[in-house]
This record gives sequence, C-alpha cells and structure tokens, in this order.
Amino acid sequence: MAQLLSADLKSRGLVLDPRSKLALMLSIVFFSMGGVGSDIKAVVLISKLLGLIPIILLLTAKQWKKALAYGGAYAVLTLVSLELLPVMNGGIKIFLTICCVGVLRFMPGLIMGAYILSSTTVSEFIAAFHRMHIPQQITIPLSVMFRFFPTVMEEMQAINAAMKMRDIRLFGKNAGKLIEYRLIPLLVCSVNIGQELSAAALTRGLSAPKKRTNICRIGFHLQDIAAFVTALSPAAVIICNRFEVIA
Amino acid sequence: MSSTVISFQNVSFRYTNSESSSLSNIDLDIKKGECVLLCGASGCGKTTVTRLINGLIPHYYEGELSGSVDVCRMDIKCTPIETVSEQVGSIFQNPRSQFFCVDTESEIVFGCENMSLPEEEIRRRLEGTIERFSLQDLQGRSIFELSGGEKQKIACAGVHCMCPDIIVMDEPTSNLDLDAIYGLRNIIAEWKADGKTIVIAEHRLEWLKGLCDRAILLKSGGISLEITGEVLFSRSKAEMNAIGLRSSIGLPDHLDTPCGFFAKDGKGRGGKALHLENFRYSYHSKTALDIKSLDIPAGSVTAVVGHNGAGKSTFVKCLCGLQKRFKGTVTIDGKKYRSRQMLKICYMVMQDVNHQLFAETVLDEVMLGMETEDEAQALDLLKKLDLYEMRDRHPMSLSGGQKQRAAIASAILAGKRILIFDEPTSGLDYNSMVQTAELIGSLYKDITVLIVTHDMELIERCCTHILHIEDGRIHEVVL
Repeated sequence: MAQLLSADLKSRGLVLDPRSKLALMLSIVFFSMGGVGSDIKAVVLISKLLGLIPIILLLTAKQWKKALAYGGAYAVLTLVSLELLPVMNGGIKIFLTICCVGVLRFMPGLIMGAYILSSTTVSEFIAAFHRMHIPQQITIPLSVMFRFFPTVMEEMQAINAAMKMRDIRLFGKNAGKLIEYRLIPLLVCSVNIGQELSAAALTRGLSAPKKRTNICRIGFHLQDIAAFVTALSPAAVIICNRFEVIA
Repeated sequence: MSSTVISFQNVSFRYTNSESSSLSNIDLDIKKGECVLLCGASGCGKTTVTRLINGLIPHYYEGELSGSVDVCRMDIKCTPIETVSEQVGSIFQNPRSQFFCVDTESEIVFGCENMSLPEEEIRRRLEGTIERFSLQDLQGRSIFELSGGEKQKIACAGVHCMCPDIIVMDEPTSNLDLDAIYGLRNIIAEWKADGKTIVIAEHRLEWLKGLCDRAILLKSGGISLEITGEVLFSRSKAEMNAIGLRSSIGLPDHLDTPCGFFAKDGKGRGGKALHLENFRYSYHSKTALDIKSLDIPAGSVTAVVGHNGAGKSTFVKCLCGLQKRFKGTVTIDGKKYRSRQMLKICYMVMQDVNHQLFAETVLDEVMLGMETEDEAQALDLLKKLDLYEMRDRHPMSLSGGQKQRAAIASAILAGKRILIFDEPTSGLDYNSMVQTAELIGSLYKDITVLIVTHDMELIERCCTHILHIEDGRIHEVVL
C-alpha cells in the first residue's frame, strides 16, 4: 500500500516535467470532470480523449495491471452509457446513468492523480513549484504531506494487524467502536513520528532562512510540448468558438 | 589536534512538564577527534546530552537550562539551530522517523540543499559519499522499501554529505541486527579516521569495542563514572551488569550455530507439542519460508533467530494467521487450526506497542477480548503484572514497559495460547531487559512463547529453545 503513493524511479517510463503533469491534470479536471464547454461538440470529443491520457501514461510507466483495470472499466462504462442506456428505461436507467456518469467523470482525474503520485519524486515537485515561484511556505508543508502519506499507510497496516489479532472487526462485538479504535493509535503514532521527524529535519538545517538549493533537474522536452498542446487544446477550441460566435 | 570542541560547564536541564531535572551540574569536555560513549540506564540523561550538542535543546525541546554549552566555539543557547546543524550531524534511533524525503538520493542531499550549497558541489559530495560507503545499490530507491540497516546507512550518508566536524548518535543500533550494526561500525571507523568527533549514546556496547576512546556513565542526570574505552571493555559481564550496563561477553552467539530447532540446555519445559505443518510461503514467486513440519513443545519459550531477511517475520506472521494466502496448519491437542483460526489463539506483542492499545482505560483494554467479561480475574492479573494502580489510566499514558505489560495482559485474558514477541527488548537498558525476561519467564505454563530477537542476553535469561531460520528454512531438527 505504501508503494502506491511513493514514486518508483526505476520504471517510470516517459518522464514528463511535473508542470506538464499539472497542466494535464487541470485540463482533465476542467473539461473531463467539470464539463466546461460541453455545449461545443469538439470540446466534448477532446475531453473524452483527455480521459484516455492517464491510461496511456500508466502504460508508458509499465504499470500494466493498473492501466488494464482502469482502461477496461472506462471502456465498459463508456459502452454502457452509449449503447445500453438509450434503450433502457425506469429506475434502473436512472440508477445506471448516475453510476456511469459519476464514475466516468471522476475516474480520469483520480487515475491521473494516482499516476502523478507514483511517477514524481518529492524533489521534482519542490523544484517545479520553485520554478513557478510558489513560496516555500506552501511547498514545504506540501512536501511533508508526500512524506507523511506512506508513513500513515504503514502505521495503518500495523494497526489493522493488531485489530485482527484482538478480533475487533466489522460485525464483531466491538464493531461500534471500530473507528475510534483505529484512530487513537494512529493519532498517537502520527504525533510521535511527526515530532521525531521535525527534530531530525531541524538538525539538518531545514529552518535555514537561506534559499534552498535543489539538485533535481527538471525541464521541458518534446513530450512536454505535446502534453501542453493536448492540455490547452480544449481551451483553444472554446476560445476560437466564442470568437466565431461574436464575429 | 587536541583542542576541545564540546564543552559543558555546570550544565543542568529540566524538561518543561517534567518534575525532576534530566541533567544536574554536568561538566564535560570532549576533544577533537575523540569517540565518546555515553551509557547508563534509560532516563539517565544521555539522550539529553546529545540534544544539547546538536542544539535540539533549547531550540526544539523546551525546558530550563542553566550553565553553558559550547560546541565548536558556539554558545548553543544563542546560536540558531541551522548554524549548529552545519557543524553537528545527528543520527537517531528510529529509522522510520528520521527521513524527510521519499527517495534515497534526495534524502542524502537534503541537508546540503538546506545549506544552499551550489548544485555542482552537492553533486560532487553525493558521488563521493556513494563511492566511499558503497551505496550504489541503494541509489534511486524508495526509502520505504529499505531495511532498517539500509535506512541507517542512508541517514549516515546524509550526515556525511554535510561534512560536519561532530556527529552525535542517539541509540543508533536499537532497531538493527548484528550485520547492520557492523556496517554502522565501519562507517564510524571511517569518520574516526577523518578526525571527526563522535558522541554515541547507547545501550548495546560490544560493537564499539576498539572504536570508543572514552566511556561516560551517567546516573540520574550526573556523571558517575568516566573511564577509557580500553578499561571499559576489559571488564567482565558481571562487572558490567553490576553498574547497570548490558554485556553479552561470553554468551553463545546463536547465529553461529547451524539452522534448526534446539533445546537450549537440553531440557525443555516439556509438555505436549504444537505441531506446525506445511509452513511455506512465497512473495512474488520468491520463497520466503519453507518449513515442512516442526514440533514446538507447549509451554516452551523459543527464541526465533536468524539474519535479516531470513524469514523470521514471515514465520511469525504465518503463525499468527496474519499472512494472507497462507495454507499451513497448526495442531494443538489433536485439534487442527488453519490460518484464520490461528488469529483466535495467537497474539503478537509488536515492537511498537502503540499500535495495539485501543481502549480508554487499562482495565477496558485488558477486558476487551475476554470471552465472558470477568472483572475480578482481570484485576487479579493486573495486580500480578504491577498494573493495578494504573487500571483507570489511559493506556497511551503509560510508560513503555507498562504498555508492553498491558498488551500481554490483554492477550492472556483473551485466552490466547501462543504469545509472540517481536524484538521486545530493543532499546531497553539492562534492568528493563531483566524485568522483561522475568515477566516472560513467569507466564502461565500453558502459554507457548516465541520471541523474535537479536538480544543474546534476553535469550540467555528466559528462552528454553532456539529456532534458527536462514533462507526461510531449518535444516536440522534436534529435540
């Protein structure tokens, strides 16, 4: 589980600049999920294609299983919504429509998020944020969060194991307290780790007021240009369209 | 060469929220290039000394500080911690919580980046460090997939990169096995050769033989003994134990014996046996455990030993029923238990016991798993384990040893037949180790105990049998 949220450097395939990933993410959120410009046919088509980008990226990173699972689910749902829904009626139709539309809308964003987390190192993030002139007050807490997620996952696993041995489980006699039992050890452990982590970071000069160096090399390549063109295309279409309307 | 780099003059310190002072009237001079060992029982103040050297006191941990501490001619009280951090590198006890980055390379250069060194310089230092400590195979890895020993190596590399003159270590080996400890020893030897000043607070001492120039024994906040390393390591086990220090001099190293299952002294506690069958498990088609069958006498206390990655933790996880897809069985009193059913009769006391205390009071905690809630029986046991006075306290507010006892009490009351301890004495001083050993020895006869441990002193004191696993296998079964 901890691996889910931390980057595996050896097999990440196509290396995109974190800023390109962010641009793609924003585009997916606006157009695939938010449905901006859905009155224009071309934009709808592009936003469908945008939904495929995370799957392509997962494929380049050789994450076959994830890519296949997401791709399969995406294809099935698209088929259902295009072919099956129009010929159905009644309560089932409403239910299925809600499911399909909901999942189809949110999935690309979620997959993209998973891809970004599994393919970007913390240093790359900090370097990218730095280039975008985002202040350290924002980047340092964010980088701590990256470090913290996998840690909390590890703690959760240990707590789950402990709960199993104590026979605290769903439908058991203490089911009502499941959340409380999980949260208390998690909080105590997280606070301890957080304190020790801060101490360790201080002894390595994190509090220095000087500007940090970052040895991580990021920069734009051919693939980044492609990513930006893709990310900006729906916006471009919308703008062109509006001008035509006005003109 | 022999100039003083660390100087404590009449230093006293009391943590905020603490009633008694941690250090009182300490005078201490450490010369450049010296390797100094700080030892003594838990709570004697040795960690506090390390925190005064690296500036965490008074800049992070708050309290009342009097006297003066000079490190590299800086007054620690009025020097900001980031300035101190350029001269003093620190290694801590818990490998889980001293990493700021997620991948190894960023972690090694983290300190240098904070020092705002130019990029070329950092790259040069990174390459030098990797070369010097042969870290090539750890390059570009995620911190989360490293073993404890590998993590500690990365921590050392991070400190080395910053080129500090002084290095302080606070119980750096308490989560390491012997191989990893000797890896750490080599790193310290390199630093010594560089003329760096090294201060180590430790319980385990043997590995420092030949490295440590001077040993300082602290006792309730004061210096009670100051001797050279040579004199310290010429002392016998009994002499060390008498001043509250741990020593495994003269004890058998069970990792040197062949793999297998043995009675330690030829006479077990006897009784019927737990029959383990088909203990096989593999991760990603790599065999981690392969034991066809094994009989462990009921009521015995077995030490599970082996090198890192030998399959010890897979073995106990399988035994507990925590390992998914595990097909082996355990037969007790003619009844066969499968993996899921093992959860009902097994309990593991984890290394970080904070993971397994859930309830609001100690009494609730220990009664949580009881088949029929019997308060009298619970209170009886709490009395036996010296927890009766604490019964209405929150389990998280107890001391480490008390938490461990509360976890044991909850397992006994839940009717568990098999108790497993994962490194119960890591980071414990001599007296606490003796207490834990006595507690384990005094458990009811119908409870079978397995202890995963590297602690030869603990094994000597309370184990009846040794299970030595290597490569997931035991070759020889001698009963």
